[in-house]
Amino acid sequence: MKKWIAVSGILFAVFLLGCVSEQNVAKEQIKIYGSGASFPAPQIENWIYEFSKVNKNVIVEYSSKGSGAGINDFKSKLVHFACTDPPAKESEWIEFKKLGEPLQFPFIVGAVVVVYNLPVDELKLDGETLAKIFMGEIEFWDDQAIKALNPNANLPHEKIIVIHRSDSSGTTEVFTTYLSLVSKDFKEKVGAGKLVEWPVDKIGRGFGGKGNEGVSAMFKQTSNSIAYVELAYALHENFKMISLKNAEGNFVKANAETISSAISASSAYVPDPKEGYKEDPKQFLNARGKNSYPIVSFSHVLLWQSYPKDEAQAIKSFWNWVLTEGQKHIIEGYAPLPKEIAELGLKAVESIRGE
Amino acid sequence: MLRELKNKVFVIYLILSAFLVILPLFHILFSVFANGIPVLLKYGLAFLTETLPAPNRGGGIFPAIYGTFMMVFLASLMGIPLAVLAGIFVAEYPNNALSRATRSLLLIMLEFPTILVGLFVMAILVMPIGSFSALAGAFALMIVMLPYVATYTEQAMRSVPAQYKEGAYALGLRKVRVVFSITLKIAKKGVITGLLIGMAKVSGETAPLIFTAGNAWRSTGGVLEPVGAIPLWIYYLVQQPYTNYHEIAWGAALVLMLFFLAVFLPIRLSMVRT
Repeated sequence: MKKWIAVSGILFAVFLLGCVSEQNVAKEQIKIYGSGASFPAPQIENWIYEFSKVNKNVIVEYSSKGSGAGINDFKSKLVHFACTDPPAKESEWIEFKKLGEPLQFPFIVGAVVVVYNLPVDELKLDGETLAKIFMGEIEFWDDQAIKALNPNANLPHEKIIVIHRSDSSGTTEVFTTYLSLVSKDFKEKVGAGKLVEWPVDKIGRGFGGKGNEGVSAMFKQTSNSIAYVELAYALHENFKMISLKNAEGNFVKANAETISSAISASSAYVPDPKEGYKEDPKQFLNARGKNSYPIVSFSHVLLWQSYPKDEAQAIKSFWNWVLTEGQKHIIEGYAPLPKEIAELGLKAVESIRGE
Repeated sequence: MLRELKNKVFVIYLILSAFLVILPLFHILFSVFANGIPVLLKYGLAFLTETLPAPNRGGGIFPAIYGTFMMVFLASLMGIPLAVLAGIFVAEYPNNALSRATRSLLLIMLEFPTILVGLFVMAILVMPIGSFSALAGAFALMIVMLPYVATYTEQAMRSVPAQYKEGAYALGLRKVRVVFSITLKIAKKGVITGLLIGMAKVSGETAPLIFTAGNAWRSTGGVLEPVGAIPLWIYYLVQQPYTNYHEIAWGAALVLMLFFLAVFLPIRLSMVRT
């Protein structure tokens, strides 16, 4: 028994020493905590990595647990900033207002892409046909509607297997909002939302996977299938992406250029950060512009207008860096903000005060 | 003849079922080692000392190891005395109404969904403090740990033959001495097994930490600051599309497994010897 006491005593002493030396370091460093959406998490990690090279006094920690959880943490003031894919709703904004002055602005752009598992190199689709495929109304790959768009492709007479998300997801929300925008039929029969009932499931040709990784795994194993995932996943897994017809009739694939083009075309719709809830994600879908990719979405950050003095300084320096230098360190699958939207965010960051 | 055949078939059936039951365990062990060892070799010692890298870069899991050790340590510090005393109480006063209630409640606690423990601790500790913290995480882990330690203590105490206690009383020892110097000493091995099983169990818990510990990828904070944990890291990292994050998750799983085995194997072996 005595041995045990001695051993635990030593352990405890070592532990205390660890704590003491830790606190000495912590005096100069300021820690900022954030939580929220998982979609921008890898990009944020990359920013933190680059930022910590030039600014050693600020440590930024981000935990990805979903947009909803981020908004809750922000509301309870458990974190300094929160990231959310869909902009905060008006009801949430009113709750924030009771606690202080909130700010919200977009900081990164992403895209939802449609991928297909067919021995065909190039596949063109328009919104209407895509909606019909995801509703199950088009049964075979060599259907007239698909053939008309791809006269030269050697399409097989195989049933189309539709793979979608089974969990509640922002990706599904963006994708179904787009389909509802381009197809009246889809809007009436399925509608837009984080979780929708896919009619194609009922006829046995639709299957759900949990998360982007679940959909990716299922998609890889199923030939003749079609699915929607975040661009980062499609690039990473080398999936074949369709070229989608945009509002001006051109077929475009998702990449940094076509995404930026879409966002620039609709940048006027980004509201003042002090009234962030007024943003309507629908206005960025199916955007005008010859080279615009139709299914793009923002990730937003929520900040307060005032923080304790030291923290305010650290938060300002990090977000200022993200909106300027940071936009040069964008990893595969994301696109930087157009200048005018970054300016909007910068102005908001400038307005943060320390108390 | 037929009877012998029936007997044989049934024995084979039993062996097969036993095999099927342990098959997943071996599969887990195998896949964690097969996927984890290359990662540890590739990243080297830095895997244990560095912080989370950006996507597609090399790094390590130090903040997670730090957080797990710190929280398990704090949870043990708070929970073990409490749980051992509760176990002693239930064992020594088995017919008391309170102790009967405690015993059944402990069994319920064993099965309690740990995510709810996390939510409970969030309400009573995280919100008032105003930040996720190692303390809140440790408190949640302590609640998960309590029933294991208490139940093992109780069973170990009860397995001590009554003759020893009677002998001690006959020598005129007071109850305190009998319980702590005689019964607890004889039951030591069982109690320590309980402690270690409790610690090993909570070191692998994810759910109670999600709402309490927050997370930290690159800082090793104090007791009142958010910290990382190995299971939390695994949970978050596998959800990302990047190969290096998946590799780190496998490596972290191996580290957790080694920690687990390092705690378990010595106990099991020492049990076999006695």
